[in-house]
Formats: sequence, structure tokens, C-alpha cells
Amino acid sequence: MGAECCYEVSQIAYIKLVLHALKHRSAAVNGLLLGRLRQDGGATATVEIADTVPLSHSQIGLLPALELALIQIEEHFEAQGLSVVGYYHANERHDDVELGNAAKKIGDHIFRYFPRAAVLLLDNKKLERLQPSKGMDPVVQLYTRDSSKSWRQTGSDGSNQLTLKEPAANVVLLDYISSEKWQEIVDFDDHLDDISKDWLNPGLFN
Amino acid sequence: MVRAEEAARLDRLESQVENGGGGAWEYLCLARKLQARRSDKVLKHGLTILNDPKARSKLGGEEWTLYEQVAFAAMDCQQHDVAKDCIWILSKEFPGSTRVGRLEGLLLEAKGAWAEAEKAYERLLEDNPLDQLIHKRKVAIAKAQGDLSAAVNLLNKYLEIFMADHDAWRELAEIYMSLQMYKQAAFCYEELILSQPTVPPYHLAYAEVLYTIGGLENLQTAKKYYASTITLTGGKNTRALYGVCLCSIAINQLTKGRNKEEKEGSNLQSLAAEALQRDYKERAPKKLPLVISMLKNMKLNS
Repeated sequence: MGAECCYEVSQIAYIKLVLHALKHRSAAVNGLLLGRLRQDGGATATVEIADTVPLSHSQIGLLPALELALIQIEEHFEAQGLSVVGYYHANERHDDVELGNAAKKIGDHIFRYFPRAAVLLLDNKKLERLQPSKGMDPVVQLYTRDSSKSWRQTGSDGSNQLTLKEPAANVVLLDYISSEKWQEIVDFDDHLDDISKDWLNPGLFN
Repeated sequence: MVRAEEAARLDRLESQVENGGGGAWEYLCLARKLQARRSDKVLKHGLTILNDPKARSKLGGEEWTLYEQVAFAAMDCQQHDVAKDCIWILSKEFPGSTRVGRLEGLLLEAKGAWAEAEKAYERLLEDNPLDQLIHKRKVAIAKAQGDLSAAVNLLNKYLEIFMADHDAWRELAEIYMSLQMYKQAAFCYEELILSQPTVPPYHLAYAEVLYTIGGLENLQTAKKYYASTITLTGGKNTRALYGVCLCSIAINQLTKGRNKEEKEGSNLQSLAAEALQRDYKERAPKKLPLVISMLKNMKLNS
């Protein structure tokens, strides 16, 4: 993959991700990124991350729930022309900025099906510092797989591979945070505990 | 582990109190009993009671329990001054108390003063060498600093002495899982199942770990424990029903080409598949097509 690849996160995908992490502050959370690849002509391409499905907030390393989720999510989003393009993770501890092994393994699995897979890691410090006036910067770190098969954090060389599609996404996010919207987020874990809860979170942003 | 009905009651009480419908004390008592972590709400409503002299005097001796509960909640919400005040009031009422001493240690932990917290706990342990809660705080300190291997070592030492502490076994299993040490996590669940054989979550967790490790024997055992979970929960546990289906496919894939007689009866997975579809039809009809399609692809739907 010599070509540069950009990643563009939609507002709903971004906000769902952060809200999920905020709902379960004392646990690690994870989820899947849904999207599509957009060829921009020439050698550049953009991965549009259109939506996210929150997965779990407990026992993240376990396979059964992950496998079930992948099957059902892939099938559901296929109709919209979207597929799994990545994975997000938020660490349990506030000052843990490392991408853990569990996250890398899941990322590897997704990479097998989508070679431009992205892994987004929530940056707690950025989230804490978020204010309405500043920052169109997303509060997540982007990791991609390099040629040595390891997950590398992008952006350390100043390049901006990850952008928010809607520039006001952080403003909207802050608004939802202050209204405690995160209470309403449902993940696949919640669904397995009570199947009447919908992991698609329809009507979350109505 | 909180049972569903009690958790639902807690949620109801919480929204009742939040909307001004009263019942704060009942809510606080239930939260304490269930050890539910609702720190922001507990802090808010607990403080309201504590700051009202009339409400406080109505509590009688329970006032001190509330101070302790609010102190915990305050620390969880990083409101250290509130916690400090509560602890100070408690220390005046119960001078020299180990229980208050533990709270002081906890406050140091909340502030991130790990070394001081450890020293405080060591001091308390001199007079109370068998205080389980203090021993466990040392594990918590290691975990909070991200030193999971130290946490594992401490927990293992703790369990050599206090081997009936189920919470500790569960915690150890979870730490092992976060380190992807699945075999060790499985061992913890085996201990739990041995000592409490009728508690469904242990059977379920054991099955999930075995499935994650993989391999034919583990998958067959996992299927058995998913099945026992189904029995113990009256067939109501969605994860166990799905688990049986997942195990069956995985086992079939590994035994492709082997003698048909080695294959276990396929009744279990069809029954599980049926139960899932019935359940979804009743409680989550929008998702039913997805589930049917998934089960059909798994060849469990006839």
C-alpha cells in the first residue's frame, strides 16, 4: 500500500464512539467502524467512516460476541453499501495511551478483509481538554498498519490523515455530553443482555 | 453481580429521585446493597440529605454509613474536598478506626498518591494483618498504575490465603483475560464453578473463554458449559443460546470428514436456534430477519 490514504469520520460515527466511552468510564470499550472506500482519482483514496456500532464494555478479549457482532453487522450494513472498515477502542485507564494487544488482534482480523483498516483509539487527554471554542481536531488517535505489519500511530509527523467530515462535530459532541446523551447509547453487549435493546441506536440523534 | 430485577428497581428509583419524586434514601440504600457504581447520582442525592440537618438527624445511626457512601462516591467523581470532609467527620466520630483509615488510604489512591497510599495501608496492616479489603486495595493500586503483572502476583498471593473470596477469583480471571492469558482465566472460572456450581455466570464465562482459546476439545467443553448455562437459566440466556450455535459450527468445521458417529446429537443446536428465533420474534422483531439469515448460513435453520 504505497498510496497515501485519508480517513474521514462522519459526525454520527464520531459522536457515537465518544458517547459509548463516556457511558462506561471505568471500563474499556470497543466497537466497529462502518464505511466505504472512495477513490479520489490518481493514487489517493479516502476511507469514509460513515457509522459505528458500539460492541462491548466488558470482557473485550472474548471471541463469541465479537464473531456474532461481525456476522450480523456485516449483513445489516451490506444493504447500505457499507462494510467494516475499522475498529475503535478506548482504554480502561485515563492515562493509558497505548494500543493494547486485544485491540491490535481485532485490528489484524479486520485488516485481512479490508487492507486499509483503521484503528481509532480514544485520546482521553484530548477529550478532557475539549472546549467549544477550540479544536476541530478529533479526540481520537488513528492507527494504520504499516508494511512491517505493526499498527503505527499516524499524525506524529504532522500529516493530517484523519479528519472530521463535519467541522462542527466537536461542538455537537460537547452539546451531547452536557445533556448526558451517553446514557442512551446501546452496544452489542447490552443487546445480548436484553435483545430488545437495539445496537443500531436508531433515534439516538433525533 | 446484580440481578436483573434489582437492577431495574434501582433504575426506576434513580429516575424517580432525579425527577423530584423523592425516595432518595431508599435509592441510596439499594445502591449500597447492590454495590452499584452510580457515583454521580449517589453523590448528588447523598449530599442533599447530609447537608440538611433535619434529614440527617432522621437517619440516626445510619448517618455514618451515608457519610462513608458519599465519601466513596465523591472520590469516584474526583470531588476530593467533599470526600475529605466526610472522612474528617467520620474520624471525629470513630477515632482510630480501621474502617476510616481505609477511607483515608482510598482518598490518597483517588489523588494518585500511590506511594503514600501504600504506606498508609502497610500501617493499617500492622494492626490488622488479615484485613481482606486492605490487601485488595494493594491489588487495586497495582492495577491503577497499569502494572497488571504485579496485580496478578498480589492477587495470587491473596488467594492462597483467602481462597474462598469469589470476587477475587473473578477479578483475577478478568485481569488474565485483559492480558489474553485465557488458560489462566479458565482456571479461575474452574475454581469458581467448583465452589459455586449453580451460579450461571461462571458457566457462561468459562464457556466463552474456552471458545476463545479454541481447539476441538475446548469447543466441545464450551458447548457443554453453554448448555449448562441454558439449563441453569431456564433457556433465557441469549449468549448461551448463541454460544451453542457458534460451538456447533466450529466443531463441525474441525470434524469435517471425520466419522459421522463422532458428531454429537444435533438436537441441541436446533433447539437453541429455535429458542433464539422465538425470543427475537417476541422481543426484537426488527432484528429477526438478521438472526434467521445468520442461522441459515450456519445451517442450523431447516
